[in-house]
Amino acid sequence: MALYSFCGLTVEMDPQFPLLLERSAPYLVPSEKADICLAPASGYLERLGETYPKLGADWLEYMWHSSAFYRFLLRFDGIMLHSSAVVVDDRAYLFSAPPGTGKSTHTAGWLRLFGDRAFILNDDKPALRFFDGRLYACGTPFTGTSPLGRNARVPVQGICVLERGEENRILPLTAREALPRIYTQTIFRLSRPLMERMLTTLEAVLNAVPIFLMQCTIGEAACRMAWETMKESEDDAT
Amino acid sequence: MKLKEGYLLRDMLGMGVVVSVSAETQLEGVITLNDTGIFLWKQLEQGDTTPEALTAALTAAYEVDEQTARQDVAAFLSKAREAGLLAE
Repeated sequence: MALYSFCGLTVEMDPQFPLLLERSAPYLVPSEKADICLAPASGYLERLGETYPKLGADWLEYMWHSSAFYRFLLRFDGIMLHSSAVVVDDRAYLFSAPPGTGKSTHTAGWLRLFGDRAFILNDDKPALRFFDGRLYACGTPFTGTSPLGRNARVPVQGICVLERGEENRILPLTAREALPRIYTQTIFRLSRPLMERMLTTLEAVLNAVPIFLMQCTIGEAACRMAWETMKESEDDAT
Repeated sequence: MKLKEGYLLRDMLGMGVVVSVSAETQLEGVITLNDTGIFLWKQLEQGDTTPEALTAALTAAYEVDEQTARQDVAAFLSKAREAGLLAE
């Protein structure tokens, strides 16, 4: 067993296959007491393989640990948001949408636009957690099919729900308007006690940061528009 | 007519939010309820009931005439039925 640290939590895992080994390596920490222990029951991953025969052993191991971690995270008042999280000037911008909408394509545009000022924190499943009353996006080893992620913890500037559109437009959403769209992009198959806990965290998240809806084409213009709308205004900074 | 098992009603962002907490249900998103909806949901949680009984409960609890109450109950039940929440 080895110990890893992300989202302010110490996580115990025992990776066997290259995928999880490589993606979790940047999060290794010297031995200390774990908050969360991720250990599949003996034979469980093999049985899971019968349900998903197309997935290799390394992907089964990786997906199980990903799912188990994000369920555990709910008990620590954190929440996963299915999104691509890009960081510019130490602020995280999360673009959330169902698979295939173009989240990663959009944030890749930010990297081209901002160069060294930007990086992808987690391209598919960043964790959200409050520290000292402020909402942070956290890198984790669990980045879905994309390999892009970084071991970092960054204040969230805003969340944007992404839709493909014929033209570029972005508008703010109220917390109430955002709820149905954000709910379906996190873990929602939960037992009653965990659901109670998840909704409490989700409500706090929706109240903590600005949320937007953007319809856009692929290209630099959409990236610029999102940045101009979501970035901290000079009034806020003073 | 009663509610199926496996749903959770919660007060959230100043409205009622219904979600599924069971693999048996079909609901994948959220259903939002106003005050009348929350009241009717809680009546249904008490057990088997009828549209007439729900209308009577609504007029007893709120200052609302019977015709409006009947319409509110019908709208609520139609929304609930559409989402597959009711066992008839």
